[in-house]
Amino acid sequence: MSETESLRRTALYDEHVALGGRLVPFGGFDMPVQYAGILKEHDAVRQRAGMFDLSHMAQFELHGEGVAEWADGLTVNAVGTMKPLQARYNIFCNERGGALDDVLFYRLVDRWLLVVNAGNANKMWEYINACNDRSDVRLESFHGKRALIAVQGPKAVEIVTPFCDIDVAAMKYYFCAEGKVDGEPAVIARTGYTGEDGFELFVDGVVAPRLWRRLLEAGRGAGLEPAGLGARDMLRLEAGMPLYGHELTEEISPIAGGQNWAVKMNKPAFVGKEALAAQLAADDYDRIAGIVLDGRVPARAEYAVFAGERRVGEVRSASIAPSCDNKNIATVLVPKAEAAVGTTLGVEIRGAKHDARVVPLPFYKRT
Amino acid sequence: MAQPQGLLYSKEHEWLKLDGDVGTVGITDYAQNSLGDIVYVELPRAGSGIKQFGSVGVVESVKAVSDLFTPIGGEVTEVNRALEGDPSLVNRDAFGEGWLYKVKIANVAEKDALLGPAEYETLVAEGAH
Repeated sequence: MSETESLRRTALYDEHVALGGRLVPFGGFDMPVQYAGILKEHDAVRQRAGMFDLSHMAQFELHGEGVAEWADGLTVNAVGTMKPLQARYNIFCNERGGALDDVLFYRLVDRWLLVVNAGNANKMWEYINACNDRSDVRLESFHGKRALIAVQGPKAVEIVTPFCDIDVAAMKYYFCAEGKVDGEPAVIARTGYTGEDGFELFVDGVVAPRLWRRLLEAGRGAGLEPAGLGARDMLRLEAGMPLYGHELTEEISPIAGGQNWAVKMNKPAFVGKEALAAQLAADDYDRIAGIVLDGRVPARAEYAVFAGERRVGEVRSASIAPSCDNKNIATVLVPKAEAAVGTTLGVEIRGAKHDARVVPLPFYKRT
Repeated sequence: MAQPQGLLYSKEHEWLKLDGDVGTVGITDYAQNSLGDIVYVELPRAGSGIKQFGSVGVVESVKAVSDLFTPIGGEVTEVNRALEGDPSLVNRDAFGEGWLYKVKIANVAEKDALLGPAEYETLVAEGAH
């Protein structure tokens, strides 16, 4: 069987084809990288709204009294302190402090929702099951069965409101609710990965295509456009959000990856805590920094990074940044000294070094 | 989609417009559409010698870097400076304002190794499957 034939399709596959989406393999699924064009879709999200199919991401439900305590032992951020209907970013680490995956926890009324990256879905499902020896924690996978539609951008409230039986405008950022969307049961969350306001709608795969079409139709007037993974990557990089496999890997810890804010060293114990504590104490690790290139030549992931004539690291993600005057931006993994804001670095592009400056992250923050 | 008449095409999706021994080179509309939003174009320097089908530059889209191969050999006489400020001209008008460079052709007979509009259309149609 060829790679193409073994790719899975989300519930919205036919919609992507009908919209002229350009499909590429991503995380084991055939996913739209773009429809009308990445720059146009990026602008739609920043200025109006864009709609994404995120059904490739794996949704796991966690049931039982023991979930918070169990999950707190496996992740760097606090789970037990989450309020009902709160959503929180979190990272699972290995014993060496490397990131197994970065995820979102949603605390629902009677259970928890855990959303993991598509590319890590099988690894994480096996891992959390292998880690579960408790009688008061039960895990259930909805990967490929339940869909996820994200509506992101300043017009998201206006577009989503008429479809929901709850007051989404009153919902706080990084909170969620269970309700109905277009008459169908859904988890409605004010979360996203674009740096804009927006909602993520978790619905059964069977009802997803109808909802997708109706949202697109209703949102046209507000300027809603379907947006693909290309725009999503550009938006998240501008917003300084890590992408697993780039800013976080099994070798790049949450601390090295710039996610220190999410690491709660005051938790009694969690997998990787000792390694992360040692890393923090030594403070000698290569870390993620943001750079802006001076010229028009784009950087790309894996390009070599220099301090003078000395190779000090590599580019991990890069893009042109329409929200930052069309400058070329990138994340780099470099030693502490070279990660300081204001440092001049060189990026080697086709044999020539191009100047870049280290800047604070994020590159873009909505006003 | 019919390809513009009066041009010759390479299998690497460049076009060549002949005017005596001067050639104008660009990438085709099919190529720009496949690449997506073009954000940077690196062209050969004016005055440099280039060989037919050799790599002479790159075209960078948001997602990828693609080599640019010249459909004809000779000496580069002029490059499209407008692309420095606005590389998206290639997306908007690949056969017109988005032209890349001009060449004083060393051997006009090299054009026989290129495709006509109908042949190129067949190539594109096959590639689209």
